[in-house]
Amino acid sequence: MLEIRDLVCGYGTVTALKGLSLTVAEGQLVALVGANGAGKSTTLRAISGLVPARAGSIRFAGRDITGADPRTVLGHGIAHCPEGRRVFPQMSVAENLALGAYLRRDPAGVAADLARVYGEFPRLAERRRQMAGTLSGGEQQMLAIGRALMARPKLVLFDEPSLGLAPNIVERMFAVIRAICDAGTTVLLVEQNAFAALELCDDAYLLETGRIVLSGPGATLIADPHVRQAYLGG
Amino acid sequence: MTEFLQHLLNTLILGGTYALLGIGLTLIFGIMNVVNFTHGALYTVGAYLMYLAVTALGLGFFAALPTAILGGFLLGAVLDRVLLRPLRGADMDTTMLVMIGAGIVLQSGTLWLFGGVAKSIPTPFPDAPLQLGPVSVSWLRLFVLGAAASLIVLTYGLINRTRLGLAMRATFQDHDTAALMGVNVRLVYTATFAIGSSLAAAAGALLGPVYVVFPQMGGMAELKAFAIVILGGLGSITGAAIGGFILALAEELGAGYISSGYRDAMGFLIIIAVLVFRPTGLFAKAERIG
Repeated sequence: MLEIRDLVCGYGTVTALKGLSLTVAEGQLVALVGANGAGKSTTLRAISGLVPARAGSIRFAGRDITGADPRTVLGHGIAHCPEGRRVFPQMSVAENLALGAYLRRDPAGVAADLARVYGEFPRLAERRRQMAGTLSGGEQQMLAIGRALMARPKLVLFDEPSLGLAPNIVERMFAVIRAICDAGTTVLLVEQNAFAALELCDDAYLLETGRIVLSGPGATLIADPHVRQAYLGG
Repeated sequence: MTEFLQHLLNTLILGGTYALLGIGLTLIFGIMNVVNFTHGALYTVGAYLMYLAVTALGLGFFAALPTAILGGFLLGAVLDRVLLRPLRGADMDTTMLVMIGAGIVLQSGTLWLFGGVAKSIPTPFPDAPLQLGPVSVSWLRLFVLGAAASLIVLTYGLINRTRLGLAMRATFQDHDTAALMGVNVRLVYTATFAIGSSLAAAAGALLGPVYVVFPQMGGMAELKAFAIVILGGLGSITGAAIGGFILALAEELGAGYISSGYRDAMGFLIIIAVLVFRPTGLFAKAERIG
């Protein structure tokens, strides 16, 4: 479904991705793990068109989307749930969710998806008129996830959904993400929390300083001696 | 007491157009992070468009006003497309210098086209003022207040009730994430600059008939707009609306009770006072709001 080949990206003189290739098959939950600064977020930002590709190609559902702007990428069915949640703090929960469906022209479908998001996250329904900036970290993450789903995407990119959350909330987030994938939406998950991500995913890629150094089923990566030593604390 | 009531009435009328000026400027700063030094020139252009529409085009006074506002909107869209879009991502100083240059070009352009002699715009209103008990107000000024108030309400509704407004507020709060939601950020910027410009032009078109129209009229208007925005807090629309009325009140009282020579000094006194005592402005929180 998503196919990245030899992607090179950077900021100024820094090259963040040095020829990255990965594939996400339809219906799968694929994890991209690695240390801080390995280029995980840059990969997602390049897919969404926030960072231009210097070389290489990104194809989605048979289309070349290399160099497309974020609006076009979203229009093709890729939603992006950014790192640090990035909800709009001075807007209500309802307005944040409305922005998730900004490009959609089917009010009935949007209303149905809104009901689904509120059903999945009753806390958001209770606080629909509240400013998003006043929500707790966990609630903001739920909002960010709900907002991404409001686009009714074919593929969702999750960037560090566990960042800065309490352990029991993290567990809940991962369960939600698994459920999203099981319901038929393909997921590409970027995580620093390697163990949780590898347990959760179907396939995984390990990124080190801008290159994929290892890939395979999550269970295989968990058992890999290099991964165990470098990312799972022995 | 009568004198004071008269000052309050004048405040209301002047404040409406000041609020328009301030809202236009704060919108552009808040969403685009551009300090718009063409704001005063757009005010002047609005007044001249009104003059042209009434005299040369022979449109009626009431049809001339929307024409002038539309002219400001289009000029703003062109300025953004030609000058600001290529500079997006450039640092603020560069944009500021370019806008100062563009302001000079616009002001000199009006001088070149219309000459330095002040023009007056004929109006259809009766000369005799309306008596409201002890106070009086001209029909023209009453119309100016009504028009300014309508434009403020319209702008407020646009920002808080429409899809474009939602996109503008999202861009204001976080432009990258707004782009991820599918917001066409470039279009939002152009629309913002055009709307801000049209509000400046509207203020000029409304005050042009009250005073006279001349090429340098925008200079003082721009300084006042900056005073209003600094007072209300950069990027706060409500702050700019209230700031407009506060400046008008200060000017009225300063002119009425100190000396009429102090009218235009009040804006500067306000800037100094705000910067000394409350640098974020009266209504902006630590984090700027729409």
